[in-house]
Amino acid sequence: MPFRLLLQLSRRNLLRHRRRTFMLLLAISVAVSGVTFMNSLIRGFQHDMREAVVVNMTGDIKVLAPGYRDDPSIENSFVLADGWVPDLPAGLVDGWAARIKVPAVILSERETRGIQLVGVDPASERISFIGSVSYAGEPLASPEDARLLVGKALAEQLQTAVGRRLVIMTQGSDGLNREAGFRIAGIYDADGTGLEKAFVFTGVSALQGLLDAKVVTEVSIRLLEEGSSAAEGFSARGRLMDYFTGLDVLRWQELEPQAAAMFAFADSAVFIWFLIMMGALIFGLVNTLITSVMERVREFGMLRALGMRPGSVVVQVVLESTLVMALGVLIGLGVGSLLVEWLADGIDLSAWAEGVELAGMRSLLVPRLLPGDLLLVALMSLVFGVLASLYPAWRAVKVKPLEALRR
Amino acid sequence: MNDLVVNCRGVTRIYSDDAVPVQALRGVDFEVRTGEFVSLSGPSGSGKSTLLNIIGGLDRPTAGSVEVDGVDLSTLSESQLSDLRLRKMGFVFQAYNLIPVLSALENVEFIMQLQGVPAAQRHERAQRMLSELGIGDLLHRRPGELSGGQQQRVAIARAIVTNPVLLLADEPSANLDSATTEDLLQTLRHLNESHGVTIITATHDPMVMQIARRQVKLRDGAIVEDSAAVEASAAGV
Repeated sequence: MPFRLLLQLSRRNLLRHRRRTFMLLLAISVAVSGVTFMNSLIRGFQHDMREAVVVNMTGDIKVLAPGYRDDPSIENSFVLADGWVPDLPAGLVDGWAARIKVPAVILSERETRGIQLVGVDPASERISFIGSVSYAGEPLASPEDARLLVGKALAEQLQTAVGRRLVIMTQGSDGLNREAGFRIAGIYDADGTGLEKAFVFTGVSALQGLLDAKVVTEVSIRLLEEGSSAAEGFSARGRLMDYFTGLDVLRWQELEPQAAAMFAFADSAVFIWFLIMMGALIFGLVNTLITSVMERVREFGMLRALGMRPGSVVVQVVLESTLVMALGVLIGLGVGSLLVEWLADGIDLSAWAEGVELAGMRSLLVPRLLPGDLLLVALMSLVFGVLASLYPAWRAVKVKPLEALRR
Repeated sequence: MNDLVVNCRGVTRIYSDDAVPVQALRGVDFEVRTGEFVSLSGPSGSGKSTLLNIIGGLDRPTAGSVEVDGVDLSTLSESQLSDLRLRKMGFVFQAYNLIPVLSALENVEFIMQLQGVPAAQRHERAQRMLSELGIGDLLHRRPGELSGGQQQRVAIARAIVTNPVLLLADEPSANLDSATTEDLLQTLRHLNESHGVTIITATHDPMVMQIARRQVKLRDGAIVEDSAAVEASAAGV
């Protein structure tokens, strides 16, 4: 059976019922563009969530002393060799930072708060949120800088300001309390009050001096986004494990299991949303195809009487469905992509900032269109289109030619 | 001219779909030889269309056997029957049954396309056939743009363009006026006499019966009169 002939018949049959074909195309296009747009929002949310975790001091991979996760104190620290750089393939690592992060109490003249005191090398911290926040005052100048960076929300709680003095109390390496006064170099404004209340920064060398220990509690490594696939993440982790024998080398998914679960759920959400939309569409598609087939039972009977095989009739019905589906998918993907492009600057969610922050998102949701998602929607839609046409096609050949000709 | 194209032996067809089974054919024996022009006639329900459909492989007998060009139809699957119809038979239906989305030329080319005839060859043959039937100037019109007579000519062209062993026509003049029917019958006679096409037609129409060289009359599912038998008897065969 010449495929071209079937294609010609299918194409002309679609044109023959222009209104029905148009309505079908409209339904498919709306569904596909809706799926495409929703996917881009889900991917945007997923990206934000990962970024929030990775940028908020976690990194893609983190090296910790055993026991630090249960007891995050200076006792669970390790010595990092001078001049150490991660031995990872070029093009995979975006940056890395060695830090001391210990619990501490911060006191102003009026208030006291529990915080995470983080000793950093300011030059390395472009990989975390502190490298890109805005300041009142100034950032830390060097690892030796013994001043503080305080979050805006914490500064408000402590009722303090740039240049004022705060007292920090924490535990030294010998188990005894350390207490020292620090001046505020700057007050940072992060995207979320949770960060501003939790983290206070000072120079890593200055903090080592206070704690009387030339150690770090963590090395955080940020991978380049394009190189941070699951496989490469595992590979990088393996190489670091070889170097840091006896230490915990963990990926962000292990460090933040809740965020990882949400991240995985977003993957599932893409499928779930697709299945819901396509499920609804398929009912309409099957219904329309059945109507179309039943209207043409006599015609199919005549084709079979003339010598067309039942299989060819099935192919013709499937082709008609596939053609209209393919065109609808193309239009839908185009419209969906244009919608994403139109909202490329992001959707402002600042009116719901607190709720959004709780969900691990930023207040500006930028839709992200992934080629893999587009391909998935295109292929799955076509597969659904073919599956949806099989029942009507079966109905078309179920009627015997003679019976069909009598209708 | 003595080759058997159709050989029916004891063909019985009982329709059991309704509460009371209907016996449409009762053990019919019927033969058609190459080059014959046979009309099956009889009142409604006599079984003429049923016999035509069984010969065309569109229906299967409840009992008995049917051979077309030496092939026993009972041994064939639906797909094999489709192939047999494609290769050996031409059909002309009462309602023309052209493909509405194809032009007259494309409708005639359709069967050849199914058969895999090369494009240039099928185009040339279809064009020639339509011209021969007097509608060479309507090649690119679709069925909806043709009159009943013109559509029936396209249907005939489609049926015979592949030189089938057998042309089956079910009430070919039912939807045509007398003048158009006359034209159609001349065409069928010409095909039969000049091209040697074997034709079996089921009809009520006396004009069609008259033009056929052999008249077979059915009543209540049985052949009650066959002009070939009468001639043979008269000739002392």
